Amino acid sequence: MFFQGETGRNTRGLLRLIILCTIAAAAVASRLFSVIRFESIIHEFDPWFNFRATKYLVQHGFYPFWDWFDDRTWHPLGRVTGGTLYPGLMVTSGAIYHLLRFLTFPVDIRNICVLLAPAFSGLTAFATYLLTSEMSDSPSAGLLAACFMGITPGYISRSVAGSYDNEAIAIFLLVYTFYLWIKAVKVGSIMWGALTALFYGYMVSAWGGYVFITNLIPLHAFVLICMGRFSPRLYVSYTTWYALGTLASMQIPFVGFLPIRSSDHMAALGIFGLIQLVAFAEYIRGQLPSKQFQVLLRAMVLVVFAVAFGGLVLLTVSGTIAPWSGRFYSLWDTGYAKIHIPIIASVSEHQPTAWPAFFFDLNMLIWLFPAGVYMCFRTLKDEHVFIVIYAVLASYFAGVMVRLMLTLTPIVCVAAAMALSQILDTFLVADTPTSTTPSDTPHANGSTTSNGSTSTTTTASALKDKLTSALPSTLRSTKSPLVGIHSYLSKSLTAGALTAYLLLFVLHCTWVTSNAYSSPSVVLASRLPDGSQHIIDDYREAYQWLRQNTATNAKVMSWWDYGYQIGGMADRPTLVDNNTWNNTHIATVGKAMSSREEVSWPIMRQHEVDYVLVVFGGLLGYSGDDINKFLWMVRIAEGIWPDEVKERDYFTPRGEYRIDDEATPTMRNSLMYKMSYYNYASLFPAGQATDRVRGSRLPSQGPELTTVEEAFTSENWIIRIYKVKGEDNLGRGLGEAVGFGRGNKRKSSGRGKGKGRGARTLRVD
Amino acid sequence: MRLRLFGLLLGLLGFVSALSAQGQKLLVVIEDESDKSKYSQFWSGLQDRGFQLSYRSPKDTTLSLFLHGEPAYSHLLLLPTKSKGFGPSLTPNLIVDFVNGGSNVLLALSAEQGIPSAVSSLLLELDISLPPDRNSLVVDHFNYDTQSAGEGHDVLLLPSPSTNTKKGIKNFFSVDGLIAFPHAVGQVLGNASPLLASVLKAPSTAYTYNPKDDSSEGLEDVFATGAQLNLVSAFQARNSARFTVLGSSEALEDKWFDASVSLPGKTATGQKTANKAFAHALSAWTFKELGVLRVNSVTHHLAEDTRAGITNSTAVSAAPGDVNPEIYRIKNRVHYSISLSEYAGTHWIPFTPPAGDEVQLEFSMLSPFHRLNLTPSPDQSHPNNATTYSADFVLPDQHGIFNFFLEHRRPFYTNVEEKRTVSVRQFAHDEWPRSFVISAAFPWIGGIWITVAGWVGFVALWVYSKPEAARRELKVGGAGKR
Repeated sequence: MFFQGETGRNTRGLLRLIILCTIAAAAVASRLFSVIRFESIIHEFDPWFNFRATKYLVQHGFYPFWDWFDDRTWHPLGRVTGGTLYPGLMVTSGAIYHLLRFLTFPVDIRNICVLLAPAFSGLTAFATYLLTSEMSDSPSAGLLAACFMGITPGYISRSVAGSYDNEAIAIFLLVYTFYLWIKAVKVGSIMWGALTALFYGYMVSAWGGYVFITNLIPLHAFVLICMGRFSPRLYVSYTTWYALGTLASMQIPFVGFLPIRSSDHMAALGIFGLIQLVAFAEYIRGQLPSKQFQVLLRAMVLVVFAVAFGGLVLLTVSGTIAPWSGRFYSLWDTGYAKIHIPIIASVSEHQPTAWPAFFFDLNMLIWLFPAGVYMCFRTLKDEHVFIVIYAVLASYFAGVMVRLMLTLTPIVCVAAAMALSQILDTFLVADTPTSTTPSDTPHANGSTTSNGSTSTTTTASALKDKLTSALPSTLRSTKSPLVGIHSYLSKSLTAGALTAYLLLFVLHCTWVTSNAYSSPSVVLASRLPDGSQHIIDDYREAYQWLRQNTATNAKVMSWWDYGYQIGGMADRPTLVDNNTWNNTHIATVGKAMSSREEVSWPIMRQHEVDYVLVVFGGLLGYSGDDINKFLWMVRIAEGIWPDEVKERDYFTPRGEYRIDDEATPTMRNSLMYKMSYYNYASLFPAGQATDRVRGSRLPSQGPELTTVEEAFTSENWIIRIYKVKGEDNLGRGLGEAVGFGRGNKRKSSGRGKGKGRGARTLRVD
Repeated sequence: MRLRLFGLLLGLLGFVSALSAQGQKLLVVIEDESDKSKYSQFWSGLQDRGFQLSYRSPKDTTLSLFLHGEPAYSHLLLLPTKSKGFGPSLTPNLIVDFVNGGSNVLLALSAEQGIPSAVSSLLLELDISLPPDRNSLVVDHFNYDTQSAGEGHDVLLLPSPSTNTKKGIKNFFSVDGLIAFPHAVGQVLGNASPLLASVLKAPSTAYTYNPKDDSSEGLEDVFATGAQLNLVSAFQARNSARFTVLGSSEALEDKWFDASVSLPGKTATGQKTANKAFAHALSAWTFKELGVLRVNSVTHHLAEDTRAGITNSTAVSAAPGDVNPEIYRIKNRVHYSISLSEYAGTHWIPFTPPAGDEVQLEFSMLSPFHRLNLTPSPDQSHPNNATTYSADFVLPDQHGIFNFFLEHRRPFYTNVEEKRTVSVRQFAHDEWPRSFVISAAFPWIGGIWITVAGWVGFVALWVYSKPEAARRELKVGGAGKR
């Protein structure tokens, strides 16, 4: 009774709302593992910077943040942070913070930052619902898509509580912008186009991945034009979006003039030009007889293409338009970064994706996804073209870079939901279908692909009223005449199997989230033999030590991975950090780490380094330590100083990377090796020292340090901090000074009594 | 800080005729108590200048240079010993620690008593080499005292060091008359160390000679000759602790303070030695009565009152009135000044570098962006005690973390190293000139307004021509939709 007539529609609306709210709640809840298991803590690396920037924004206000010169990173260069970050994330949390303050909720900014990503994942689920509902008339598709989006691990990996990164809000903005774009193309209204531009602007302010939108929307428009589907709706929405969106994006200092100068944005500009020409051609066609028009069109196409292409080449060669960035090249050639830009290749999330990762992150969606894309082909309306393009591009990018799995996830959820809803709508109808459904059949035949979509929608909605009581009006998209499933056995079997799959999917998602994506990586958890959980908190122990025992301006040198954490947790200036804007500076640190002490010490003194921090996992078997990252430091340093640092020197003649007795002298004399293994042998009986990560026995004679001295070693030896010595007071070399302290006598400098010493060096003053 | 404290003390203890800028406690290490009387004039000279002398034998087991881990004495005077070293409480390591603790050492050597090997190895740490033979001494057949060393030629007579100073180096050791150096041990200074300076060099005709070694081999391969031999050398550590090596301890003895000497070949005989004055100068320098610099204050601030019409900056920045702000903007004009005083034995006087020298400031990030000579002017608050060195300059067009770095290291002066770190930020978003003051922007601004006007005109035209267009559209479009 509640599902019939006008009441039925209202009830369905209410139910849909409740279901959406429940999905959002589930999305938030499944992201809270880390908060419950550990505490409300910011995760990993980049979130620490975002958190620090947010604190700065909240403390100093918006304009000082906008003009922020950060003198506590990249010492001594500093970083124009306000102009080199995407402020969307910080401003969003700042706004929420002030709003809650205004409503007299004194919430700590940290908790807002920790919980921002889960909150936005609820919104993402909602946006996915909207986007999918535009694609399919079945309401179940939208709800399924929202549900998938809410719990799929591919998205959870970047949005658990504490993962306070740009992606946290960017995925919502991505999906929502696409929804608005589809809406704008469908309706052809300036308002929707302007809304698209508005959210596009928000997206630009939030994540560098906005380039994906910048290229996908023009591609969509281009494909539509090529398919002969140019329409005033497309013209209005595209031009509105491009003009307003480009202006909006240029307001972000980090983006600035890129939209008109960088190759990455040229496609959007080109399509903007093209769509003007096409519109003009359409106009002319209305005025001219077709034969003349053909000639004119051909001439115009040639001329315009030649002029535009020539102009583009000329501008690129003359340098007005920036050539493609290195990151862009590495998207097409996976080997490019490894050869040319080691700094990009050294990041694990820039590696190509392994096959199991797709199944791990998307589970059964990955095989529903092609089915959904196929269904888009069947009713190839403008918005379905978009889905197809998006699916193809995102699949490719996700295969190239692990990190881009994130952009693939929304489309997988949408496509899979469309496929699944099709099955469910067919099989979950309790009533036995009547043999003929005369009124629905003609409209389902896909005769309305190109231009008559508005009229079909109206007729379909008129028909809907009649059909609501009997059938969900979803099967319009099938080309075959509407027939149902008659056998209850096949209905129940299929429905049962799908339910089982869905339940398995939920189980898988929960399991992955709980085990793989909820570790803060600042705090490590391990299991004791009796099964109880043991927390390894060396990172925070060390950062707290720095915070409490060193001068406020003590500069800490470490590999760039830990820069943001040192800045955020220890509040000490660092030389390099995860914002890898200056490759040379990183190479300098790499050189200091990989060279002999006599070479590194002047570098450290020149950069006013007070402490050096290394991560060492040998005692605990923690494999993400600096010795394992060491070759990247060598490679990056070699990129700048190929004569002084050579990767080959760190390998044994047989090409092995060893740290034991057979390690090369270069390896054993490098500062990183020395700092990692200094005094390590003292933990073991003589000759028994073992590195548990590399699984090898260490030399009995441990390394000796002269230019730095040990200041701190954490409980499990994961973090070791060394203090850099100043110049010797008596002007000796530090090695000599240490030797003198041990009782070694200094050799007289060739002024002895012996003969045949050659010419003396005389002092002139 | 410490120096300033002693500056205060100075006012209280004004009755003392002279006073070290660092402290008065002086430890004299003398092996034989009976030898003390040999140096009585030198002791009384030191005591008159306010030093508290304590005499200890190196064999004394209670002797310790440190008290609670800090140097127990401000100054140490080491007189020669016959044994191989100064014993367990004065090992080279301890003396190095003592110097690292900031205390000063005057080490007197003597060829008569021989060179202890421990002293040789200690001096090697300072890059000073002594002859390998224990008894080597410096002889000169042209500049010896005919009265006392007519045979041995081992009492050298040298003129005052004033003649061999270079431009830009202040000479604290010039005296009137000849200085006698009996049985001196020559030192050779290493080339590498910039902390070493020669106070008194041997004449070009001097060489080292071991009287115990009769073989000619020693003469063929002498340790060092001529001006490479130093009779008095000065070492000033990076913490400004001073270590002076005096080649001849006998030069401090009463016997030579006012002896009458004569150079060979000169008709005039019976010249008075200037040893007393030289000993005074040398001990005064070593024990920080001379050549001590003090930084009274370092200030830097913006040197522009108005920021050229830009008043609405919202960025974190230095206001014109702030003294020593932590942040500037690129291309700011700033004023840097440092107030320096020099200690003149009893009181602080304005510091003036010797002719040919300048006080220089570096504005540096990794490497200097500016290296400026500072201009002196009398200090406003203490015109009689201090000089203010200052400079006005425009910050480079490069943001970063910069240092106002003043490093004044000159021989015989204590080191001044003042580093003030400031951040130099970029232009804030509202510190650029507005578009309407840039003439090159006029076409663009004009373009904007023309577009605006054109649009308004178009709208007006459209509105004016509306009725006809609307009627036609109603007919066509309306029929199509229904």
